[in-house]
Amino acid sequence: MRRSSALKPIVKYVLYYGLALIWVVPIIWMAVTSVKPTPEVMSFTPHWIPSSLTLEHFWALLERRPFFLWLANSFQIALLATVITIVVTTFAAYSLARLKWRGRNAIFAMFLTAMFIPWEINSIPLFFIVKDMGLLNTFMSVALPLSALPVSLFLLRQFFINIPTDLEDAAKIDGCGHLRILWHIIIPVSLPAYGALAIFIFIFAWNEFFWSLVALQRSGVRTLPIGLKTLVAASDIQYDLMMAGSFMATLPALIIFLLLRRHVIAGISMAGVRR
Amino acid sequence: MTRIKKAGGGDALVGILFLLPYLVLWLLFVVIPVGYGFYISLHKWNPMGASPFVGFDNYIQLFSNSRFLNALENTFIYAVWAIPLVLVLGLAFALLLKRAKVRGVGFIEGALFFPYLLNVSVVGILWNFLLDPNVGIIPYYIRAAGFPAPDFLNNPALVLPTIAFVSAWWLCGYRMVVFRAGLNAIPEELYESSSLDGAGPVRQFFSITLPLMKPSILFAAILTIVAGLCMLGQVLIMTNGGPGTSSEVLALFMYRTAFESFNFGQAAAVGFVLFAIVFLISMALVRVFGLKSELG
Repeated sequence: MRRSSALKPIVKYVLYYGLALIWVVPIIWMAVTSVKPTPEVMSFTPHWIPSSLTLEHFWALLERRPFFLWLANSFQIALLATVITIVVTTFAAYSLARLKWRGRNAIFAMFLTAMFIPWEINSIPLFFIVKDMGLLNTFMSVALPLSALPVSLFLLRQFFINIPTDLEDAAKIDGCGHLRILWHIIIPVSLPAYGALAIFIFIFAWNEFFWSLVALQRSGVRTLPIGLKTLVAASDIQYDLMMAGSFMATLPALIIFLLLRRHVIAGISMAGVRR
Repeated sequence: MTRIKKAGGGDALVGILFLLPYLVLWLLFVVIPVGYGFYISLHKWNPMGASPFVGFDNYIQLFSNSRFLNALENTFIYAVWAIPLVLVLGLAFALLLKRAKVRGVGFIEGALFFPYLLNVSVVGILWNFLLDPNVGIIPYYIRAAGFPAPDFLNNPALVLPTIAFVSAWWLCGYRMVVFRAGLNAIPEELYESSSLDGAGPVRQFFSITLPLMKPSILFAAILTIVAGLCMLGQVLIMTNGGPGTSSEVLALFMYRTAFESFNFGQAAAVGFVLFAIVFLISMALVRVFGLKSELG
């Protein structure tokens, strides 16, 4: 009895931390590989501890590929998508949640149904639409469709609809217009929802692949995921370069996650749960 | 009083005005493409010149095209592996963390969630390296344990399940976070009172957790099904559809038909078939399980 109660917590710790370790081992392996001499990268036996540390793969990658351009492009697109989403869905959510007009519920039901349309599989018609708008190979070609994701609208509408009307009624009696109500009452109390929305959309845009591949074909506008793909297309497999590129692409997310883990997870869980 | 009434009466104009920017984006990038895609699929589409109307020829050709049927089959094989894996692992992790009486649950959750933050190219490149038959560590440790290591990505029978496992590693942390929020919303008293009645953890799972989680599980299921049926990135990076066409899924077939063969009419037809499949499945699930309450 005494033995099992003493042993149990240890077993638990081993199991839980073991699981966590197994899950991140691939990422640790990527990091280790990126600073290893090439012969150890291409070795038949794993070298967990490199015999010497080298940054040559990073320099080689930066020499051959415009990595920082990809990074900047990804960042700009994700930022654009986040800002446009927030502006556009704020007004739409306010309209659907706080204003009374005929047909708003019918329109919302339409948005709901459309949520099950995965917009990427429309990439062929979308390609021609975006091309006719002259937006092909621009950041807007990715940021604008992302801003139309119904998920964002749900998140904000759901938050807005649960804000008590007392303050708003008082403001209306004082003669406040909708813009001032929105700015002074609704937005300040909805900051957690905005945080969640921003995190959700930024990550979504940062990692977007399918549509970017179609819309961003000129090399100067490539994003990180699309740029990294060019490493795969190379005729010979250079895992050292690939791991260096992958690790560099992962670094921003890793740093932000280590700093803001709680906020990122809270944001994701808020955006993911719709009740 | 009259002022309030007036504001209420004037809401229609403001309401539509406020909705307009989103509505325009939504129509332009979500709704119109569906109709336009169908329109393109009825033509022998030529972006440069005349595009003759061909009726349903593109569809008829598709269903007699063995490569399309192969892609359709592959899509379902992948989905059948990936969807349960992602959902079951996500739910299992969420339950594990809820019961965890260890320090640093946040750290463990972070480790399980982090892969979701990688982009698909990193995921694909990394796992190609891990699974490489010569220098990959996974085949190495399988051999070290005394088993023959299969060539996961070059074996037609293994390639899609392997990619499904990789997808599960990548994505289940996201589901875990969402499920955790759902689990935390279940009142603790329910578990306490059923414990007093002598219910064990297994019975509690089936009589409390599962019924109360049903809406969020089904919601997650729909989103996972949609994503699974439209999977492109993983195969494009990891196998490019190979070996042969063993991992060529519908989205990849569509992409190649459009941007490698430039047969846009045919590709649009593939897109519309995929759209129809996804839409019918998700609508059926919504109807059957009555998810309306969850969505509204």
